[in-house]
Amino acid sequence: MMRTGLYRVGALVTACAVALTLGIPYGGQAAAPTSLHVAIGIDADTLDPEGQTTTTVANMVDYMFDSLVWPNDERSGVKPGEPQYTKLVPQLATSWTVSRDGLTYTFKLRQGVKFHDGTDFNADAVKFNVQRWLDPAVRNPNRYYFTDIDTSRIETPDPSTIVLHLKQPSPTLLGRIASGVGEILSPAAVRKIGNDKIPLGPLDAGTGPYVFKEWVHGDHITLVRNPGYWGRKPYFDEVVFRVVPNAGTRETMLRAGDVQMAFEPPAPDVPALRRDAGLRVVEGPSDRDVFIGLNNQYGPLKDVRVRQALNYAINKQAIIHSVLFGLATVLESPTTPALFGYAKLQAGGWPFNPVKAKAMLAEAGYANGFTLNFRTPTGRYIQDYQFAQAVAAQLANVGIKAQIQTTDWPTYVSWILTPLERTPLQIFVLGWATQYLDADGELYGQFYSAQAPPKGLAPSFYKDAKVDELLIAGQTTSDPKRREAIYKEAQQLIWNDAPWIFLWSQNFYVVTSSRLEGVTTTPNEKWAAIYATWK
Amino acid sequence: MAGGFLAYALRRLFAAVPTLFGVTLIIFFMVRVLPGDPARVLAGLEADQHEVDRIRVQLGLDKPAPVQYAFFLEHALRGDLGRSTVTQAPVLAEIAGRLGPTTLLAATATILAGVLGVASGILVSTRQYTAADYALTVLALAGVSIPVYWLGLMLMLVFAVALHLLPAGGDTAPQSLILPSITLAAFSLAIIERMTRSSMLESLRQDYVRTARAKGLADQVVVYRHALRNALIPVVTVLGLQFGALIGGAILTETTFAWPGIGRLLVDAIARRDYPMIQGVVLLFAVTFVLVNLAVDLLYGYIDPRIRFG
Repeated sequence: MMRTGLYRVGALVTACAVALTLGIPYGGQAAAPTSLHVAIGIDADTLDPEGQTTTTVANMVDYMFDSLVWPNDERSGVKPGEPQYTKLVPQLATSWTVSRDGLTYTFKLRQGVKFHDGTDFNADAVKFNVQRWLDPAVRNPNRYYFTDIDTSRIETPDPSTIVLHLKQPSPTLLGRIASGVGEILSPAAVRKIGNDKIPLGPLDAGTGPYVFKEWVHGDHITLVRNPGYWGRKPYFDEVVFRVVPNAGTRETMLRAGDVQMAFEPPAPDVPALRRDAGLRVVEGPSDRDVFIGLNNQYGPLKDVRVRQALNYAINKQAIIHSVLFGLATVLESPTTPALFGYAKLQAGGWPFNPVKAKAMLAEAGYANGFTLNFRTPTGRYIQDYQFAQAVAAQLANVGIKAQIQTTDWPTYVSWILTPLERTPLQIFVLGWATQYLDADGELYGQFYSAQAPPKGLAPSFYKDAKVDELLIAGQTTSDPKRREAIYKEAQQLIWNDAPWIFLWSQNFYVVTSSRLEGVTTTPNEKWAAIYATWK
Repeated sequence: MAGGFLAYALRRLFAAVPTLFGVTLIIFFMVRVLPGDPARVLAGLEADQHEVDRIRVQLGLDKPAPVQYAFFLEHALRGDLGRSTVTQAPVLAEIAGRLGPTTLLAATATILAGVLGVASGILVSTRQYTAADYALTVLALAGVSIPVYWLGLMLMLVFAVALHLLPAGGDTAPQSLILPSITLAAFSLAIIERMTRSSMLESLRQDYVRTARAKGLADQVVVYRHALRNALIPVVTVLGLQFGALIGGAILTETTFAWPGIGRLLVDAIARRDYPMIQGVVLLFAVTFVLVNLAVDLLYGYIDPRIRFG
């Protein structure tokens, strides 16, 4: 009796499960070519272009907005494989002139462009946005990008001309405007939605190739094609960014056909992904320096010979090959080739020479080595904790005992921000990238002495009067040739002083279905897929 | 009896107030002891200090902690849990949006674990030391020892990648629920199956069961009406306790399956030091725990008439 009863229940449950799995056809794998699904690692914090601090989020925002000027990329017709981001090209401005003294910028604006809400793009709209960049009521972590602009003297002589006057020359201003932080919003839409609601859904506020449709927090952000786009029209009707925090799940969803493109699946799987005929690993160098910062004011690390010895002790190429699965390029300067002002100083980076490292340590009085604490985040940079272990093993070979400690990112940032008197840092893993692709963003941020914590984020506590002088000169000199020379000299000084163990610039990568064509990456850690097509 | 029950329920509810107050106090100050500055996390690594200070003032983080706590408590009592420091969306709205998917997932998993766990537990208790008993013992052992994220990924590889039967993640179709709820249920299912089995074995050896059998009652009546009712008391306790495990498991399951629920909201909030959001979610968890414990206590009375509400 009882036995048959239980079997009946079991049969019913099984039948239901089978009906659910088989009865309802599941269409995930038959990817609709009109809708592109992209798995990203984090949810957006804000969709307001001015609030951007994370390239993944800025990347989505770029679909909806245009800027006055933009680095040359797919939107200006650059094909995958061609050099990208090598110069600034017109976007909403068709041309611009800079006065000889570097204080006046005149932009000619594109005519006939309409915002998604139907209002006209014109000089007044640009003026509204420039004022918004500097409006304290708008949360804009990048406000300092634009503080050289004098907002009381913005001129709009006609609807297609805007003139900006600067308080002092700012040679990186155009690059800052082109960084994505200076994208242009419809004044009417901003007034309608309100500055505090724009971050949650910039409905019809942009001029870009896609229009915001919906944001289901923690799940997805959907954009639809802008039928009235002034520029090149994209292929996909709809783009859905799906929030998938687990890297392994992003890979699985790609393999299952739920998404056609996935942001940074687990690095250890990259070799297998490269071999999979149904998939394509799209990768390229980025402007992100990954390095081991040395506290230049701590004990043995005060001695330049010790710092140089540490650089000799590490075989970067071997670690890239074995721990990073080839997803990086050795640093040959304190900056990366993507930046204006980059100077290649030493091919192959600091040479691997443990014998010399030991000799230099002995010369500095540390023949028996010493102990250091070594801090690293986990999961912030490609294989960070794993490569830290490899580095510690190589340091042990020259007699330096590095004890690794790791924590979550906000705690790590608090360590980085601690002033010298209290800093727990001796040696530590860190990465640094700049949104406006200029050596200024990299060198000033990490090597200008007054940028030491807590004021700035240069936790190596590097201090050199000549370098300070050069970095200020680089910020205020208008002539590009002069600036290149200034930055070359600064890089040479820093390279020889070895305030870091110079490691590599990490590659940025996405993995797509092999049927998705035209996807590429840019040097500021974005993917370019607005004009991707389905084969 | 009915009046006694109501008074008992109300008394239990009131007893929860100091508990919840304590929870807010602990959470509020514990979150603030965590290293890491929300304003800096929000501003991004490259932002300058002026902007970070400006954000800190905007968030009210420049005020002393007790003042912030008083402000939080005053607003919480009026049903306002504040705004997310990250998205600036109201915490309550954000939680409400994530409550649906989590409730659906947790409820499906609980039912799955409860029904299948009790059913299989009864099944094997009536046929101790048979092949079925050993097979389920092995399965239960697997259920408690396989990590949630590994089980989730394996299910995905089989059903999504290899067989193309189910979506790998997200909350896009009704079928999306199947893999995460199985994953989430696995641990509790195993525990409940073992609990039911041993509890039933205990009951079946009791004198009153022997008496019932001696009276010539049908096997089914003896097992379900007499033995099961007593055996269920510890099972209900375990079911209640498993709810805590479900919340913990939901955090991992939701992350593995990109399920847009409360568990992930909490993880994201911690990663971004979103104080109001952390407080809101933990408060919700605490309230849920108190209510589930209350429900379990009340359920005792229903199952076991010996327990009175006096």
